[in-house]
Amino acid sequence: MSQHFKMVLGLVIPALFGASAQAQLKQVQSEQLLPKDAVTVFSINNISLLQKISMDDLVNYEFMSEVHQELFDGSTSGKTLKDAGLDFNQRLNLFYGKSNKHELTGFTFGVADKTALFEVFDDFQVVESPLIGLEIYGTFFNQLLIKDNLALLIRIEPTMEHIDAVTDSIWYARGNEMPFDFFEAEPQEEQILDEQTFEDNPNTNVFPEATENPAVKNYYELRDSVQVMLQQAELARVIDEIYVKGVNLYNFDPRFATQLTHNAEGVFYLDNARNLDKSEGLWYFQTVLPTLYKDIQELYAGNVILGDLFLRDNKVDFEVEAQYGPALGSIYSQMNDAKFDQNVLSYIPAQSPAYFTYNINLEQAYEQAYKVLLPLLSDEKNAQIAMNVLTLELLNEFINKEALFDTYKGSMFGTFNGIKKVKTKKIEFTYDEETFAYQENETETEAEMPIFTLGFTTARPDVPELVLKHMARLSSRIQCFENYWRIDNAILDAAPLYILNTGKLLILTNDEDLARLHPKGYGKDALGKKERKAARDSGFMYGFVDIPQTLDRFPTEVLTPRNAEIISSLKGKSGQLILTSSETNTAHTTFKLSYTYEGAESTGKHLLDLVNSLYLIYTLNP
Amino acid sequence: MKYILVFLLIGLFSACIEISDDLTLNNDGSGTLRYKINLSASKVKVNSILALDSLDGKPVPSKAQISAKINEFVRILDAQVGISNVLVEENYTDFIFKFSCDFSSIRNLQDGIKLSIAQISNEKITTGADQFWLSWDGNTLVRSIPAYVTQQIKNYKLEDAEQLKEGVYTSIARFERPVASFENKLGTLSKNQMAVMVRTNTFELKENQHLLDNTIVLTPR
Repeated sequence: MSQHFKMVLGLVIPALFGASAQAQLKQVQSEQLLPKDAVTVFSINNISLLQKISMDDLVNYEFMSEVHQELFDGSTSGKTLKDAGLDFNQRLNLFYGKSNKHELTGFTFGVADKTALFEVFDDFQVVESPLIGLEIYGTFFNQLLIKDNLALLIRIEPTMEHIDAVTDSIWYARGNEMPFDFFEAEPQEEQILDEQTFEDNPNTNVFPEATENPAVKNYYELRDSVQVMLQQAELARVIDEIYVKGVNLYNFDPRFATQLTHNAEGVFYLDNARNLDKSEGLWYFQTVLPTLYKDIQELYAGNVILGDLFLRDNKVDFEVEAQYGPALGSIYSQMNDAKFDQNVLSYIPAQSPAYFTYNINLEQAYEQAYKVLLPLLSDEKNAQIAMNVLTLELLNEFINKEALFDTYKGSMFGTFNGIKKVKTKKIEFTYDEETFAYQENETETEAEMPIFTLGFTTARPDVPELVLKHMARLSSRIQCFENYWRIDNAILDAAPLYILNTGKLLILTNDEDLARLHPKGYGKDALGKKERKAARDSGFMYGFVDIPQTLDRFPTEVLTPRNAEIISSLKGKSGQLILTSSETNTAHTTFKLSYTYEGAESTGKHLLDLVNSLYLIYTLNP
Repeated sequence: MKYILVFLLIGLFSACIEISDDLTLNNDGSGTLRYKINLSASKVKVNSILALDSLDGKPVPSKAQISAKINEFVRILDAQVGISNVLVEENYTDFIFKFSCDFSSIRNLQDGIKLSIAQISNEKITTGADQFWLSWDGNTLVRSIPAYVTQQIKNYKLEDAEQLKEGVYTSIARFERPVASFENKLGTLSKNQMAVMVRTNTFELKENQHLLDNTIVLTPR
C-alpha cells in the first residue's frame, strides 16, 4: 500500500509539470475510466499545464531521482518519466475510493508508447482478459488495464472485516471449530516467541495448525485464498462496470464532470457524503444506532468539496467550493451570518507579516444546530443518547445563552508580529577573589520571542474582568494596570502575557508595546485601506502571510539548527499567501488560496525550485 | 560525568549555558565535588523545547522524566564504595541543577562516577575505561578529560557557535593548604592562595578539549 501510494505521489509532481509544450488538446478520455466508487480524485490537466518547464529540465532535478526510483520500483535504473511512454495529452487522474467491502486506489492515464511503458513497468505480467480489446497486466498488488491506449492502474484491497466475515462463514460451514485458543488460562505470548516450545509442544500453539492433508487449508491459508478471490471478484465487477456497462465517476456524478470542464491545471473532487458513508469511524452508529446513522447521512447529503488549481503568471491559485445539502447548509449559513467586527482591524499593525480574521455568529449557529440536530437525536431509542438529549435540553433551558454568546461571540483575529526582545531574568554565578566563594546573582537579560496576538469579540467585558479579578486575588503573578492585565511568566515561564479588555474585544498578547502604547489600537499604523477592505469583504475568513517577512522575522533561536537552515533556505524564494472565503449560503461556501511571488522565473520553475531546496536539505542533512 | 553532561546539554539545547565544577580536595585525598549547570539565560529556549513532543525525530523528555533519570543516577552513585552525601537540587523555573557528593578518595570518585554512568546508560564504557582523569599523590593534583569523553567531543557536530561562545565553564580546585604552582595559563589563584580557578567559554572547550587540563602543585606539608 505504502509503495503504491508513493508511486501515485511520484506521478503527481512530474505530471503537474511534465506535459509536452507542443501538446494539442485531444478528446478527454482517461477520466472515463475512473470507478464510480472513487470518492476522492485529483485530476491533472496536462494540456492546460503547458509546461512552464521542459521535461528535460524536470528530470534533471535532484528530487526526481527519488521519484523515478519510487515510480519504477528501482528496477529500471536510468529510466526517467520521459521514457515511461505516458501520453501527456491525456489527463492524469488519481483516485481513492472505499466501499463497505473494498478499498480502491490508483490512477488513469493515456498511453503513448506501450513498449516504453513496459520497459519501466517491467514487473507486470500478462493476465487473461475476459473482454476482447482489453489487455490486463498484473503484479502481486496492482492491475494495469489498457484499452485503446487508455490505462487504468488499480489496486483493490478487500477490507479486513469483509475478508474475516467471508472466511469465518466458510470455515464454520465446513464444520471447523474456532481457530484461536482465545480462552487459554495463561497468556501464550512467550511461547509463541519461543521456537523450541512451539515445536515441542504443539498444543500450546494458538495459531491454526497445518493439516496433514495438503488439499485441506488451515484458517489462514483459507483466509489468503478468500482475499485473492474477493480481489478478483471485485476486479471483475469493476471491469464489467467500466468497460461493459460504461458506468464511471464521470457519468455517475455530473458535479465531477462539470468540474473537469474548468480550464484549470488541476481539479480536486471529494464527495464528503459518500466518504462519510464509508467511514470506518462511524461503524458504531451503523450497527448500534442505524436510525441516527441514516439521519446523519441525510444531514451530509450533497456535501461535496470541489477544487481547481490554477498556475498563473507569478501566481498559484487554489479555488475550493464546499457544497452542502439544505440541512447542513442551514447551519453553516447561520454560523457565517455574522457582521464583520471592524474593531479587530485596528489591532492589526500594517507591518504585520501574518494575520487572520475569523468572523462567525456562534449563537445563531448553536440555535440552528440545536434545531436541526436535536430532533435527530431525540428520535433515537437509546438510553445513553436519551440521557445526553435530556442534559442538552436542560442546559439549553437553564444556561443564560445570551450572556454566554455575548461573552464569546465567535469572531476572532490573530497576528504574528515578528520577534521582539523580551526582558527576562537569569541567574549568574559569581566568585569572590579571596576564596573563590560562590554566589548567585539575579540579573536581567533579554530573549528573542515570537510576538503573537489573539483577540476575541465580546459584548460582555464584565465577565472576563470578573474572572481576572478573582484570579488576581489568588496569585500575585496577575496584576491589573491602567489599560491591561499582566500575568508574569505566563509565556514559556519567562515572559509576561498581557490581557486587554477593551470593552468590545478581549485581546491576549505577549506584545508589551501593544498593551502599554496601543491599548486603543494602532491608529494610523494599523492595516491600510486596501487590506482592511480585503479582510472585510472576505466572508467568514481571511488570512494573509507575507512569507519572506515572516521567515525573516521568525526567531530561528527557538528552532533546531536544521529547521533554522530550512527556514533560511526558503528566504528569497517565497511570496505571499492569501486565503479568502465568500459569503456562505445554504448551498455552498467558496475559498481561495493564492500564492504570489515576484521574479522573472516561471510559476512551475519557482515551485520546483522550492520543492528541490527542501528535498536537498532533508537528504543532505538527514 | 561532568564532561558528558556538558556536551549532552550543549547538544540538547545549543543554548547559553553556565557550568561550574568545584572540587574540594583534603590533604588525605578525600573531598567534595560540586557540580552546577545553569541554563537560566536560555530558559525561553529550554521551555520551548520542553513544550515539544519530539525534536529531530527523537522524543523530548518531560520534566518528570528528566527528574527521574537524575534521581536514578543519584541513587546509583550513592551506593558506590567511598561515595556519600550525594545531593541534587533541581530548579525547573530557572533551569539550574546542582549536584554534590563527598568522596573518600579520588579513585573512589572516578570509579563511582564511571560505574554509575555505565549503569544508568545501560552501556559498558570501553574506550579509555582504564584511564583516570584525576590523580593525586598528596602534593600534586593532575586533571584531564577522560578518553571516552574526548571521543564523544570529537564526534560532536558544532551547530551553534554563537550560543556556545556565550556559555561559560568554570573549574575550581580547592585545597587545605596553599598552592605552590599550576600549569594552566588560563588559571587564576585565589587571594588566600588555597584555590585555583580556570574559566573558559564552551565554544573554546569544544574546540580544544584539553583547555581544562591542569597540574596543580601544593606547598609541602
